[in-house]
Amino acid sequence: MTRYIIRRLLYLIPLFLGILIIVFAATRVAGDPVRLMTAMNPHITEEARNNLTAYYGLDKPLWHQFLIYLANLLKGDLGNSYVIRGGIEVTSLIGDYIWPTMLLQIVSIILALLIAIPVGVISARRKYSKTDVTVTTTSLLGTCIPIFYMGIIVILIFAYYLGWFPAGGYVTVISESKDYFLGSRTLDIIWHMVLPVAVLTFALLAPIVLLIRSSMLEVLKQDYVLAARANGLNDRKVVYKHALRNALIPVVTYVGIYFGAMLAGAPITETVFNWPGVGRLFVQATNRLDFPVIMGITVIITLMTLIANLITDLTYGYIDPRIRVE
Amino acid sequence: MNKELLRIEGLKTYFDTWAGIVKAVDGVDIEVIEGETLGLVGESGSGKSVTALSIMRIVPSPGKIIEGKIIYKEENLLEKSEKALREIRGKEIAYIFQDPSTSLNPVLTIADQLLEVILAHQEISKKEALEKAIELLKLVEIPDPDVKIWNYPHQLSGGMKQRIAIARAIASQPNLLLADEPTTNLDVTIQAQILELMQNLRKRLGMAMILITHDMGVVADIADRITVLYAGRVCESADTKTIFYKAKHPYTQALLTAVPSLALRTDKLKVIPGNIPNLIEPPSGCRFHPRCEYAIEKCTEKIPELIEIEPGHKVACFRALEINLESPLGGAKNN
Repeated sequence: MTRYIIRRLLYLIPLFLGILIIVFAATRVAGDPVRLMTAMNPHITEEARNNLTAYYGLDKPLWHQFLIYLANLLKGDLGNSYVIRGGIEVTSLIGDYIWPTMLLQIVSIILALLIAIPVGVISARRKYSKTDVTVTTTSLLGTCIPIFYMGIIVILIFAYYLGWFPAGGYVTVISESKDYFLGSRTLDIIWHMVLPVAVLTFALLAPIVLLIRSSMLEVLKQDYVLAARANGLNDRKVVYKHALRNALIPVVTYVGIYFGAMLAGAPITETVFNWPGVGRLFVQATNRLDFPVIMGITVIITLMTLIANLITDLTYGYIDPRIRVE
Repeated sequence: MNKELLRIEGLKTYFDTWAGIVKAVDGVDIEVIEGETLGLVGESGSGKSVTALSIMRIVPSPGKIIEGKIIYKEENLLEKSEKALREIRGKEIAYIFQDPSTSLNPVLTIADQLLEVILAHQEISKKEALEKAIELLKLVEIPDPDVKIWNYPHQLSGGMKQRIAIARAIASQPNLLLADEPTTNLDVTIQAQILELMQNLRKRLGMAMILITHDMGVVADIADRITVLYAGRVCESADTKTIFYKAKHPYTQALLTAVPSLALRTDKLKVIPGNIPNLIEPPSGCRFHPRCEYAIEKCTEKIPELIEIEPGHKVACFRALEINLESPLGGAKNN
């Protein structure tokens, strides 16, 4: 088991390097950040531009830039932002943005699973009933409606017309604590979370419900489910012990992949709700060609995805003994 | 006098599919006497398994029992509630499936699967249940039962898995065992062992058994009586000897002729012409008439009733008494 994990971790190294090279190359062909920075300044001289380019190390050949980046990365240095907060360190920048992202994501995925599992099971057990048709139709809508659209509609209804929840942000910007929602910072954050969490949960929920439903339908046809009934077990045991455990195997894959990508944030949700998370940061950095920030976030996402995949593989073994590593 | 354990009367189980209503079982009458082995024989699609699933009322959707009676110990199972049925399933009547690699749950240990069945029907502690489970594994002749019980199904061979499935079925000493082609998916060498084990256990525990099979060789060995199904109806029912030597239904006879046998020393295997009919729109009259060489006008118009032509021998054929069928085994044994 330990040997298996070590072997898997060693495999991750070339994979990680490969991904770094691709993203590094992709950012460099996206444009010239110095030109973007100085575009609004009519008095800029070519010399000043060259100085800036040299300052950021962008004048060196690509392979050289990459080696410098790699050497710094090994020291745990992700570089400094070109534009944000006067060139703040990327590590501390991501450190600031990661918690709101985690909060939003973890709450949403847990809610989505808590709702999706029973709904998917009920839907599968009452195939083609009114409940099932309602569930599948809603889920299909959920997968079809783009998040930015749903987000805007939700803001329009619940923030603008009804005024129940704030339209965006993470916490009320205030001078005194009594301006917080019900006077508490925690409650204020929760209050701000309601709309983005609702939208993200709905978007996450829909595919998981459909996945559980189809997987359950497949499993309910199996002989071992019939055998469980033939042995006089009650419905709850037949469905939740015998069927669901088998039906959850594909769901673990899905959620595992999602968990890996989780730190990428939900760029669209975060942008729509002005949520100060990594996703929105990523969008901003890309717009401004802030190479160190783009690369830094990519490094974190890549690492998380690779580790999450490993954990998923190990979880498989727990659920399905047939693929357990001896 | 042998006591009747189970009697099925006019059972109809239909499947409402997109293509139409499949009349998988269309008026089946069967009886089982306490402690006997009844062979339920027929081609694929003749309704053997659906009949057995109907007895336990676990026909998978869209299958539905339309009408009929299933009298078990003088009570009609079709009138019982789900809750009352759970007390019968696994405790009074148990089912052994064809393929043990699909009938055992792949993600649960053997212990898990045996214990839940024992605990569902018996008021004992977990510890006692575990002892009992190990006892059961010994009974089905599994080596190292206290080790094997912690295994998952995939760690065992096909024959071992079927032994586990048998252990699970007999966990609460049922009175009736429904064995749905229990050896079809096993190696030939293992088949005989499993059949012998089932026969021994059946005698030891005094259970009756319905053995579903299409293998005439298997029923010849272990069945006391045989009921032959064709396209969802019973053709003939009698004790094993009568079926093999004095069959009166042309289908039974054809089935016997189609069995490859060393004793008969024929060069060419006889086949029954045609296929089992479409069960959405079955042939009019006797369902076997399109394939029957003795069919007359009447066979195409009316459905023959199952009639007792001599004590314990029932046939559903208009011409059962007039045509003189010769058993393919006739010459081998005459009495």
